[in-house]
Amino acid sequence: MNSTEKYRNTVSNIRLPRRQFLQGAATVGAFTAFGMRAANAQSSETLKIGFISPRSGPLAGFGEGDAYVLAQARKALADGLSIGGKTYAVEILDRDTQSDPSRAAQLANSLINDDNVDMILASSTPETINPVADACEAAGVPCISTVMPWEAWYFGRGAKPNEPSPFKYSYHFGFGVGEFVKAYTAQWNLIETNKKVGVLYPNDADGNAVRAVMVPQLEAAGFTVVDPGAYENFTTDYSSQIAIFKEEGCEIFNSFALPPDFITFWRQATQQGFTRTVKIAQVAKMGLFPSDIEAMGSLGPKLASAAYWHRAMPYTSPLTGVSADQFAADYETTEGRQWIQQLGASMSLIEVGIAALEASGNPKDRDGVAAAIAGLKTDTIGGVVDFSSGPVPNVAHGPIFGTQWVEASGGDYPLDYVVTENTTDPNVPVQAKLIPYDG
Amino acid sequence: MNPSYRIERWTTASRISVWVFALLFLAACFLSQSGNDSLLSRGVVLFVYVLLAATWNALAGFAGLMSVGQQAFFGLGAYFAIRLSDSGVPVFAAMGLSAIIVAALSWPMSIVMLRLKDGEFAIGMWVLASLCHLLVNLDPLIQGETGISLIALNAYDPETRRVILFTFALVSTTAVLGFLFFLLQSRFGTALQAIRDNDEAAGSLGVNVLKAKRLIFVFAAFGGAIAGALWLGANISFQPKTYFGVQWSAYMIFMVLVGGIGTFEGAILGAIVFFIIETFFAAFGVWYLIGLGTAAIVFSLVFPQGIWGTVVRKWNLHLLPIGRRLSISNEK
Repeated sequence: MNSTEKYRNTVSNIRLPRRQFLQGAATVGAFTAFGMRAANAQSSETLKIGFISPRSGPLAGFGEGDAYVLAQARKALADGLSIGGKTYAVEILDRDTQSDPSRAAQLANSLINDDNVDMILASSTPETINPVADACEAAGVPCISTVMPWEAWYFGRGAKPNEPSPFKYSYHFGFGVGEFVKAYTAQWNLIETNKKVGVLYPNDADGNAVRAVMVPQLEAAGFTVVDPGAYENFTTDYSSQIAIFKEEGCEIFNSFALPPDFITFWRQATQQGFTRTVKIAQVAKMGLFPSDIEAMGSLGPKLASAAYWHRAMPYTSPLTGVSADQFAADYETTEGRQWIQQLGASMSLIEVGIAALEASGNPKDRDGVAAAIAGLKTDTIGGVVDFSSGPVPNVAHGPIFGTQWVEASGGDYPLDYVVTENTTDPNVPVQAKLIPYDG
Repeated sequence: MNPSYRIERWTTASRISVWVFALLFLAACFLSQSGNDSLLSRGVVLFVYVLLAATWNALAGFAGLMSVGQQAFFGLGAYFAIRLSDSGVPVFAAMGLSAIIVAALSWPMSIVMLRLKDGEFAIGMWVLASLCHLLVNLDPLIQGETGISLIALNAYDPETRRVILFTFALVSTTAVLGFLFFLLQSRFGTALQAIRDNDEAAGSLGVNVLKAKRLIFVFAAFGGAIAGALWLGANISFQPKTYFGVQWSAYMIFMVLVGGIGTFEGAILGAIVFFIIETFFAAFGVWYLIGLGTAAIVFSLVFPQGIWGTVVRKWNLHLLPIGRRLSISNEK
């Protein structure tokens, strides 16, 4: 809403009762008389930011590092935030969804209604983000999210292609199917194969989206896709799919299955002799964190994955001033656990949120903040986030690059996570050559 | 000695409590106009729990039909609301209409399901719920497990939406409870209580057992569907797994067991208890669920009648004039 429109609304709605008018007049008087003092009194205003992520339950892997990230962000924001000549104290209220979408919605509603937050940040998976974004959109509270394919965020919440965006307060940044196509095409050309790709795509939004959008693009890039068809999540017998892959002699395998489903599939594929002939085993949704791969025992190493953040990224946090590599290293020393890619994503989410509040000029004006996000272009620990050039309104692109889990040569942890391909963000150094799975 | 007897329905307690209920209703109406946002949105959650508990209690407590598949109707209620809204029906009308459609669908379902007895019925209902879940997943609009959002609600500004939703919840809950109340007061209620005690004996006395059970089945489906549509209105996101999850039946069983199975007041009380526990302890995650389970076990072992059942037994207190009491006084 521009200022003239706002003015017109105010004028047409003037029906002030006398007392309210007098109060208003008195306030105006007070402001003019003690302008300085009023400004000082307001300087102690607090900005409240809600941070919703899964910290327990099946998705807990995503939230594992959030306590550390939040502690770093709080430390950096301890002196408050200076916006438009005013200094605001910043309070981050973090909430755990327990991996439950209903709870995610309830947490968002309670942050909005009870805690009166000025903005909500949500991270990791449609189960967390979509309910939160919907609650924010409905209540008119700015919401920024990351770490899920933007297609499932945008179209999954009812937006239609080639129509104006139905969303005004919710924004998302990060990878989409387009980035996957680029990363996969580059990654799969690193090794000589017969270019036959066996795919395991379930009947859910991710599965159907990659089937509809990614498969034609992969075929255009010269790969033959062998798709045995959609299956329901939590299927326990994959013999028919494995038989088809073996018959076709697929040397590349790609999965968008849920982690437990992939593990079931991969065990059966090993028993039935399919994995011996696979040169590239490219998994998505699964294998994001070292614990996933360690749990697979000897079948885990050499699985290829794709990362949305990596400690090798040549970026520095505008909030803490710490580089990606230092950030990961400090996490390992402080927490005594191996770094995970979610660290950088959670940190960049907070950075984008802070940048949006700063860009708005008045962080207490929800409409103003929402409008500021739409035109926001800012640096983060994961690179530039640019909402002005996204694939659809309300969305900013983010990279995803090819990686591989390999057995570590020395060091404190059994596995290393190395970058093997960097098409979607050429600033990221390629660290190692892709090793064939069977070799 | 000339014993005289009186059959009474209205007691002092029930007269007072009906007035209290009426006042509560008026207070809630007033609240919808002036209450704060948090109160209104939590209020909708409470109404959903009351609807679920009351309808499950009607099934299990009055018609003797233990179901662990009521989430079928809960999910379908939300699904049809989103389906209708997507095809252009105004969103709140879609929510009401959806419950009617689900009730209509539950009629043919009842023909199959009511042939099953006891444990078979319980498991059969669970299977039915899973079947509904899979069928809903096949709709391209729903996009498999990812689901879709009821974005039509965004056309209303947050204030208006909250007030309408709360009023909608208040009215539909009152209507469902009111209908159940009059049902239980009628001849039909007597027949139901006979069925609950022993359906074969009731049949031999001339009660049309199947017809009575069917009516309650459809009624419970309607209540579940309204609850699902309301939940969708409050949460907006529709992810099939969360609506068709068996945890809803577990919650219903908990509320009714704790409140007092087979008593009208007990189910409402159970819903309120569950609501309070959830409000204060849900943040404890797994421990909260363990606590719920433990409470359910303790109640079923120590107070099989639930809180209200125990109250009734101890003090013979009836807040609502359901059933008749025989009072005999000896006059010399």
